[in-house]
Amino acid sequence: MILQFILAMIATSSFAVLFCVPKKQFLFSSLTGALGWISYLIFCKLGCGIVTASLLATFFLTIISRFFAALRKNPVTLYLVTGIFTLVPGAGIYYASYYFIIGDMASFAAKGTETFKIAGAITIGIIFGFSIPQKLFHALTASC
Amino acid sequence: MSNTKEILSLSVEIGDVLLRSGGEIYRVEDTILHILNAFGIHDYDVYVLSNGIFASANEDREDACSIIRHVPLGDVHLGKIAAINQLSREICAHECDVQEAWARLDACKNLPFQKPLIQKICCGIGCACFCSIFGGKPLDAFFALLLGFFLQHMRLTQRVRGASNFFIDIIGSAFLTASSLILLNMRLPVLQDKIVIGSIVPLLPGIALTTSIRDLFNGDYLSGAIHLLDALLTAMCIAIGVGTVMILYRNIPGGVPLP
Repeated sequence: MILQFILAMIATSSFAVLFCVPKKQFLFSSLTGALGWISYLIFCKLGCGIVTASLLATFFLTIISRFFAALRKNPVTLYLVTGIFTLVPGAGIYYASYYFIIGDMASFAAKGTETFKIAGAITIGIIFGFSIPQKLFHALTASC
Repeated sequence: MSNTKEILSLSVEIGDVLLRSGGEIYRVEDTILHILNAFGIHDYDVYVLSNGIFASANEDREDACSIIRHVPLGDVHLGKIAAINQLSREICAHECDVQEAWARLDACKNLPFQKPLIQKICCGIGCACFCSIFGGKPLDAFFALLLGFFLQHMRLTQRVRGASNFFIDIIGSAFLTASSLILLNMRLPVLQDKIVIGSIVPLLPGIALTTSIRDLFNGDYLSGAIHLLDALLTAMCIAIGVGTVMILYRNIPGGVPLP
């Protein structure tokens, strides 16, 4: 679990370099990505399906990025965009096209719908995360 | 007040940089409105789309002014967004006059991208880490590192040549799949699917998806739909690239059978 956390942090921070995140925010954007991925793993362990885990993890990720944004007085995009990459269903796209090619239509349908469901779950997670009023984050950072 | 034009061009120019670097519509509109207000213009209309800005100010006065900007989708540069955010904060706090703001804006515009070599190395490291957190072994992660390095190299050179993003996505995912199949056929003990999944991450439409959701959430349906379409098409291009190579591979006799 700790290894996963560290790897997710390195992965997110190297993507942060690609998207030219300012140096002072590196630590925070990589923390966002790592916490998002770890929460996804924890929700999976607790017995949530992949889709539910994606939803909850994205929700959590959005809250963390908004918290960091309020704390560091920077746009929330900086943290959210780099952090989300751990949760975007790349494996789903790959397996769906793979099953489609080898003609395993049942697996293709299963993987394809799962990928769409994960994308939908990410959407709903972000929307829920942004529905929390901004005042709460200001109050939270003021008390920190 | 005869400097309506100068203030409006300043604020639209700031919005232009923000939009180009990947800011969402709401942020761009909000920034422009705040800057106009800070410089004492209260009669204005601003409409922002994901590839254009329309703005007018002081329409019933003599120095009425309106600006239309075409903003093509550019490369994401989050550092510029952060810098512009800081600049607009200072303008709103009246710590910065128009001349100084222009100078600061030029500095923001000229923030460089990372050097190509650093981009390639970081892309490689990122791919390796993603490969191993998605279940790859250390050997797989090593190959993902190499593939990520070459993937970024290819993307940079193709972008210089002016290739479209869709072409880059198709060629990129085809390249990754083909290389992983070659590795599999060298009888190396690799998990071919994990290598592809790890190194495909830089191509994924994570930013387009996030931006589109946020635009839709803020009620900017048109811009949200444009970005959503971008995300879906990118995903489809990746699938086409992977699929084409798979079909070719299956039609070539011999070779290690796929699991």
